[in-house]
Amino acid sequence: MDTLGYLGQGFGVALSPYNLVTALCGTLIGTVVGLLPGLGPINGVALLIPIAFALGLPPESALILLAAVYLGCEYGGRISSILLNIPGEASTVMTTLDGYPMARKGLAGVALSLSAWSSFIGAFIATCGMVLFAPLLAKWAIAFGPAEYFVLMVFAIVCLGGMAGDRPLKTFIAALIGLFLSTVGIDANSGVYRFTGDNIHLTDGIQFVVLVLGLFSISEILLLLEKTHHGQEAVKATGRMMFNFKEASAVFVVNIRCGVLGFIMGVLPGAGATLASAVAYMTEKRIAGAKGTFGQGDMRGLAAPETAIGGAACGALVPMLTLGVPGSGTTAVMIGALSLYNITPGPLLFQQQPDIVWGLIASLFVANIMLVILNIPMIRIFTRILAVPNWALVPVIAIITGIGVYAVHATTFDLFLMIGIGIFGYILRKLDFPLSPVLLGFILGGLMEQNLRRALSISNGALEILWSSPITFGVWVLTAIMLLMPIIRIWRKRSAAQRAIADV
Amino acid sequence: MLLQRIFASVLLLACVGLALMAWPYQAAFSYEPVGPRAFPLLMLGLMGLALMYMVFRPAPIKHDADEPPMDRETLTKIGICVVLLLVFAGTFEPLGFIVASILIGIPMARLYGGRWVPSIVIITLMAVGLYLLFDKVMDVPLPLGVLDVLEN
Repeated sequence: MDTLGYLGQGFGVALSPYNLVTALCGTLIGTVVGLLPGLGPINGVALLIPIAFALGLPPESALILLAAVYLGCEYGGRISSILLNIPGEASTVMTTLDGYPMARKGLAGVALSLSAWSSFIGAFIATCGMVLFAPLLAKWAIAFGPAEYFVLMVFAIVCLGGMAGDRPLKTFIAALIGLFLSTVGIDANSGVYRFTGDNIHLTDGIQFVVLVLGLFSISEILLLLEKTHHGQEAVKATGRMMFNFKEASAVFVVNIRCGVLGFIMGVLPGAGATLASAVAYMTEKRIAGAKGTFGQGDMRGLAAPETAIGGAACGALVPMLTLGVPGSGTTAVMIGALSLYNITPGPLLFQQQPDIVWGLIASLFVANIMLVILNIPMIRIFTRILAVPNWALVPVIAIITGIGVYAVHATTFDLFLMIGIGIFGYILRKLDFPLSPVLLGFILGGLMEQNLRRALSISNGALEILWSSPITFGVWVLTAIMLLMPIIRIWRKRSAAQRAIADV
Repeated sequence: MLLQRIFASVLLLACVGLALMAWPYQAAFSYEPVGPRAFPLLMLGLMGLALMYMVFRPAPIKHDADEPPMDRETLTKIGICVVLLLVFAGTFEPLGFIVASILIGIPMARLYGGRWVPSIVIITLMAVGLYLLFDKVMDVPLPLGVLDVLEN
C-alpha cells in the first residue's frame, strides 16, 4: 500500500507542468539523437549531463530529462532500423530483420507505430515490475555491507563477460581497462597521487563525461569516415500510420511474453537490451514454428525484440536505483549524472529521496506515452532528419561533443584527453572489443575499491570477510557459474562440431 | 591476428610500466590494512594475464559485411581527422569557439564529402548558432577568443 502512495507522489512530481515540458523536450531531443548516425543513447545522455547541470535544473527534473532522452534514443534508433535497415546500435539489429521487410511492403507507418506500441507495453510491464520489486530489493539491500557490495560488483563484471557470448576475453579486458582508469587521480583514503604523472588536470581523475564522449563520440566520428557510401534511400513512410486493433491483438501475447522476459534480462547485470532482444526474437520464432513468416515482415518478429528492448531498458534501472550497481552502459552514464548532483544511488535513496526515485519511475510512464503519441504527427519530420548528409552532420557532432566536454571543467586539457581516449576507443573497436564494459568498469571501479578497502578495514585485513557471510558465499557461487558459462558454451559448440564431422 | 598480437603486446608493456609506476605508492601514515597500491596492481595483474592469453591465442575478428577493408586512403583520412580535432582542442581557447569551429568544421565537412559552398555556409551558420544557443540560452560559458572585441 505504501508503494502505491509513493507512486502517487511520484506522479505528482512527474506531472508538474515544468517536468512535463522537460520530459517532452527530452523525448524530442532523444529521438533526434537516436536517429542520427554516430550518436546513440550513451552519447545522448552524456552530452546532456553538463548542459542539465548548467541550466540549473533541480535533480529530479534532470533525471527525468535524462530518462526521457534515454527512451527517446531507443525510439529514434528504431526509426533508422525500420526505414533504412541500418541498426543504430547492437540492440536494434533484431528489429531490422522484420521491420525493414514490413516497410518495404508499404507498411512503414504501421511498423513504426506498432514498434512504439510494443516498446510501450514492454516498458509498462517492466515499470510495473519495478514498482513491485524495487522497494523489496532496496529493503533487502540495506543488509549489504561493504564485503557484499564488493562481491556483487565482481559478479556484475563477470556477468558482462559470461553473457557477452562470443568474446568473453575481450569483454573482460575491456572491463579491466575501465576499472584501471577509475584509479587515476588522487586516492581519497590516503591522499596519494596515482598515475597522474604530475599533471594537475588529472588530480581529480579522468572526468566521466570526457571518457564517455571520447570513447563513443570521437571513435564513432572516425568510424564514419570509413563508411563513405552515404545517402541510402529511406523507405517512404506513406499510407496508414497507425496499426489497427486486429494487428495489435495479434501480437498481444507476444508482447506480454517478451515484456516479462525483457524485464528479467534487464535486471540481470550485463545482459541488457541486446541479449534480451536476441533471445526474444529467437524464442518467438521457435514458438511460431513453420507458420510464421519471420524474416519476411512478420509482425510478431517486429514486436518481439521491441517489447524486449523496452522491458530491458526499464529493467536495467532496477539494479541502478536499488543497489547503485549499473547494469548497462546507459545506466552507468546515469549514475555518473547522479553523482554530479551528489546523489548516491543505492538502497537508501528510496528512503531519503523518494521524490527522485518515484518521480523518475512515474516519468518513465509519462515519457513512454508521449513517445507513442509523438509517433503519429512527427514521423514525417523525423524521416526528413534521416536525409541529413554526413558531411553536415559529423562536424556538428564533433563541435557539440567539444562543447559538452568543455562545459564540465572549462579546460582544454579535457579536450585533448578526450581525443586521446577517442583514438584508443577507435583502435579497440577496430579490434572487436566491446566498449560499454569499459564504461561500466570505470563506474564500478571507484565503488569496488572503496568497498574492498572498507571491508578489509572492518576485518583488519583478514580476507575471510569476503566470503564468510551467506550472501557473499551465494554470490561467489553465482559468479563461478557465470565464469563457467562461456567455457561450457565453447565446449558444447566443439562437441557439436565433432558430432557433425562424425555424422559425415 | 597479427594486429591483435601487436596490440595485446603493447598493452601488456603498458601494464608492466604502469605497475612499476604504482609500486612506490604508499600512504605516508596508514590506518587501514589495504593501501592505495593494492587495487590498481590487482587490476593490472588480471589485465596482464588476460592479455598474455590473447598474445598467444588471439580470437579472429569478425567483420561486418558492409565494412570496407582498411586502405591507405582511409588511414590518411583518419589521420587528417585526428589532426583537425587536435587543432580544434588547441585553438578552442586562444581563437575562441566560433573561429575554432569554423576553422576545423569546413575542412571536416570537405573530408566527409561536402562541396565547398554548402560546407562553408552551413558550418559558419552552425558555429554562430551553437554559440548563441549554448552561451546565451543554455548558460554554458564558451570562450569568444579573438571575437572578444565584438562583445562590447
